[in-house]
Amino acid sequence: MYRYDEFDHKLVADRVNQFRGQVERRVSGALTEDQFKPLRLMNGVYLQLHAYMLRVAIPYGTLCSAQMRMLAHIARKYDRGYGHFTTRQNIQYNWPALDKIPDLLDELAGVEMHAIQTSGNCIRNVTSDQYAGAIEGEVEDPRIISEIIRQWSTFHPEFTYLPRKFKIAVTGHVNDRAAIKLHDIGLVVKRNNDGDIGYEVHVGGGQGRTPFVAKKMTDFVPKAKLLAYLEAVMRVYNMLGRRDNSYKARIKILVHETGQEEMQRLIEAEFSKIDASQMLTVPQEEIDRISAYFAPPAFQTLAAKSDGFTQAQSQDADFARFVRANVVAHKQAGYAIVNISLKPIGGVPGDATDAQMDVIADLAEKYSLDEVRVTHEQNLVLPHVKLDELKTVYDALAAHDLATANLGLISDQIACPGLDYCNLANARSIPLAQEISERFADLDRQYDIGELKIKISGCINACGHHHVGHIGILGVDKKGTEFYQISLGGAADENAAIGQITGRAFTEEDIVDAIETVVTTYTDLRADGERFIDTYNRLGMAPFKERLYD
Amino acid sequence: MAQHAAKGARFQAVTANRLSDGEVVYWAADNRWVEGFADAEIADGADAADALLARAIPADFEAHVLEPYLFEVLEDGAFYKPASVRETIRAAGPTVRLDLGKQAGA
Amino acid sequence: MTDYHLVIDGATATESWHYLDDDAPLTDAPSIITLARLQAEADTLKSRSAPLGVILHADGLGKTDHGEDVRALAPYLDRLALVALHFPIYRNGRGYSAARVLRQEFGFTGELRATGDVLYDQWAMMNRCGINAFELAKDISLDTFKTALGELSGAYQPAADQNQGGKKGWRRSRL
Repeated sequence: MYRYDEFDHKLVADRVNQFRGQVERRVSGALTEDQFKPLRLMNGVYLQLHAYMLRVAIPYGTLCSAQMRMLAHIARKYDRGYGHFTTRQNIQYNWPALDKIPDLLDELAGVEMHAIQTSGNCIRNVTSDQYAGAIEGEVEDPRIISEIIRQWSTFHPEFTYLPRKFKIAVTGHVNDRAAIKLHDIGLVVKRNNDGDIGYEVHVGGGQGRTPFVAKKMTDFVPKAKLLAYLEAVMRVYNMLGRRDNSYKARIKILVHETGQEEMQRLIEAEFSKIDASQMLTVPQEEIDRISAYFAPPAFQTLAAKSDGFTQAQSQDADFARFVRANVVAHKQAGYAIVNISLKPIGGVPGDATDAQMDVIADLAEKYSLDEVRVTHEQNLVLPHVKLDELKTVYDALAAHDLATANLGLISDQIACPGLDYCNLANARSIPLAQEISERFADLDRQYDIGELKIKISGCINACGHHHVGHIGILGVDKKGTEFYQISLGGAADENAAIGQITGRAFTEEDIVDAIETVVTTYTDLRADGERFIDTYNRLGMAPFKERLYD
Repeated sequence: MAQHAAKGARFQAVTANRLSDGEVVYWAADNRWVEGFADAEIADGADAADALLARAIPADFEAHVLEPYLFEVLEDGAFYKPASVRETIRAAGPTVRLDLGKQAGA
Repeated sequence: MTDYHLVIDGATATESWHYLDDDAPLTDAPSIITLARLQAEADTLKSRSAPLGVILHADGLGKTDHGEDVRALAPYLDRLALVALHFPIYRNGRGYSAARVLRQEFGFTGELRATGDVLYDQWAMMNRCGINAFELAKDISLDTFKTALGELSGAYQPAADQNQGGKKGWRRSRL
C-alpha cells in the first residue's frame, strides 16, 4: 500500500497545525461560527445532535494493522470506545471534543492518516473496490489511480469552494463493488486494443433528493491524461454549477439540465486546452513510483486446496456457513478473501468497538499480509488469508462477535446514523435495521431468501443509499412522528438502478411487517434460482404493491 | 439559525451545543447554559419565548455555544418534556446506546 | 478613502484605482468598470489612454446563475491592466477558476485582484490560482497575510503559481 514520504508527512503536519490555529481562532472569538464552519468541515468536523462528529478518511478503503490499531486507540482515548464505518470508506467518531481534535489529528498523522476533505464542498475521499489487488479478473489495481487522484485533489487550490461536495469512485473490475455510477465521477479501469490502461468516465451520478445514475462521458481516457480530464470536468462544474439552490448544486443537476452531449462538448473543450498545456500529464516515473506501492504482496506459493480447510468445514457447521457466506475466492492459489460482517443480529450496522478493531488489526498483521479493507456496505475485509489459516482467523473473529455469516443477505443492511445521532435526520434508521435483523435472525431463512440488499436512510440526503437498495427504506417526519417509505428494485452495482417507491409510507409499528410482506411476496413468486432483484425485474412493482396495500 | 419550534407551540425552551465539546445545553432561569433539560427555563407563550431566546443570545454568545434555537416542550404531569423525537433524543442520548449521552448518568 | 489596505505581490501597496459605477463618467484616473460597460463602450474606450480595469462578478447580478463568463474578457485583455474578481460570498468559488483561466489560458500578466468576501484561509489558494492583489481589512497586518500564505509548505498539483521549475507534467512541489 502507499506509504508517505517526507513530502506527504510534512503537508499533513502543516494541515494539522493550520487546523490547530483555526480552532484557536474560533475559541478566541477571532472567527465566527459561520466563518469557521467551512474550515472545520474541510477537516471532517461536523456538529451533530449530541456532540461533534469527526470523519476520518480511509483512502480507497485500505488500512494496515498499525492504522487500524490507531483507529482503536482514538476510539478509546478521544471517543467512547467505538467507531462507525461509513458507506464512503470513512470512519466516524461520534463524541470528540473540538479542543482535542487537533491532538487527535496529530496522532492520526503519525500513521499516515487524516480527515482532510472528508466534508465540505470539495473533492472528497476517493473510494474504490474493497477486493482491489485480491480478486481475480481485475484489469489493474484501482488503488494506483485512486492514489494519484487523492494526491491531485488534496488541497486543490481551484476546487476547494465548489458549488457542492464532489465524490469520485474507481473500480478495476467488471463487477462494481464501489457503486461508481452513483458518484459525481465514476471511473472504470479499462485496457484498450493496444493494451494500454485507461478509464471509462461516468459523470453526474448521485442519490439525495434527486437521484441519478451517472452518464458515460467518454469510453477511454489514457492513464497519463486522466488528471487533465478530471480537471476539465471540475472546471466546467465550478464555473457552471448552480449556486443559487443547494439542492440543485451537485454536478448531477448540471449534467441533467445541460444534457449529456453538451456536457461532453464542454468537458472536451476544457480538456483539449489543459491537455495541450501538458501541465497535468502524469509522468511515467510518477506512475511507476506510485504503482510500486501496490505491487502484489509477498504471496507464498501454495496448493489451491487445503485439506485442513476442507476438514474444518466438515467438522464445524458454523464455520462452513461462514465460508459459504463471507469468504470469496482469491486470485492467488491457496488464499481467500475474508469478509467481516459488522452487522451482527440486532447490532448497529457499521459500528465496531475499540477491542474489535484491535482484534482485526492483530489478525491482519498475522494472517492477512498486514492489510484490512473497508467496504461501502459498512463491512471490513481481510483480503489475503491463507486457506490453511482461515479456521484460526474465524475462531478469533467468532470470539469477538465478528463472525456473523450474513454477507449480502437480508440482515447485512446499510443504515445511516439517522436521528439517533444526525443533525439532518428526520427519522431513526438504526432501530429499524435492528428490528429487521432480529425479525430475520434465523440464518437458514436468510440463506433461503438469498441475496437481498436492504438500505435505510433517515432523511432524503440518502446517506443510507435507500435509492439503490433492492429494498430501500426512507425515514420521513410527519409532524414530529417517524414514518417509513419503501422503494424496490434499486441496485448499486454495474447494473445500477434507482428504486421505485411502493406507495404511502408506513408507521414505525408497521414497517417491519411491511418488509416481511415484500420478502414473502418474493419467495412466493420467485422462479428457480431467481434472486429478489431478478424477480422484481421480471414482475415489476404490481404484485408487491398489491400485497402491501390491499 | 435552526428553528424547530412548531407554530402555535405554547411552551418552549432554548437549546444549543457547547462550543468546546458539542455537549447539548439548555438556557436556565439563572441566565447560564446547563446540561440538563430538567433545569431549562420554560417560556409560556410566543412573547415569552422570544424574550427567552433574546436573553440566551447576548452579543458574545458565539464564544460559548453554537446555533441556539427555540423548541417546543409539552407538559408532562408536574414536569415538561420535549415535544419532538429529535429533541427527546438530544435531551437523553441515542436510543440505540442507552449507555451513552445524558441518559447514561441518569 | 478605502476601507481596506492593499497588498500586491506580497507587499503593501498604494491604491491607485477607483471602482466606477456604471453611471459615473469616465475620468483620466485608473478606473475599474463593469463587464457590461466594457462591452457597451468598447469603441470609445479605445481612445482612452488611462489605465483600465474590469470587475468580474461571480453571482451574475441576477442575469444568470453562472455569473459572468471570464472568457468574455478575451477580446479586451490587451487593454486591461487589472481584473478584479468579485467574491459575493466566500463560499462562491467561481473566481478561482476565472483566475486560472486568465493566467494560464490567456496569459494575462496584469494585476489580478480578489475583492468582496474573502477569508484569511483563502488567500493562499487564491494566490496559487494567480491572484496577486488582495484588499485586506485594516486590522489585518502584512505579517498575518504572509503567515497565512505560508501555512502549507507544498502542493500536490500545479496551478498558476509557476511552482514547477519549468518542468511540464503533474508533480508534487515545494511552495
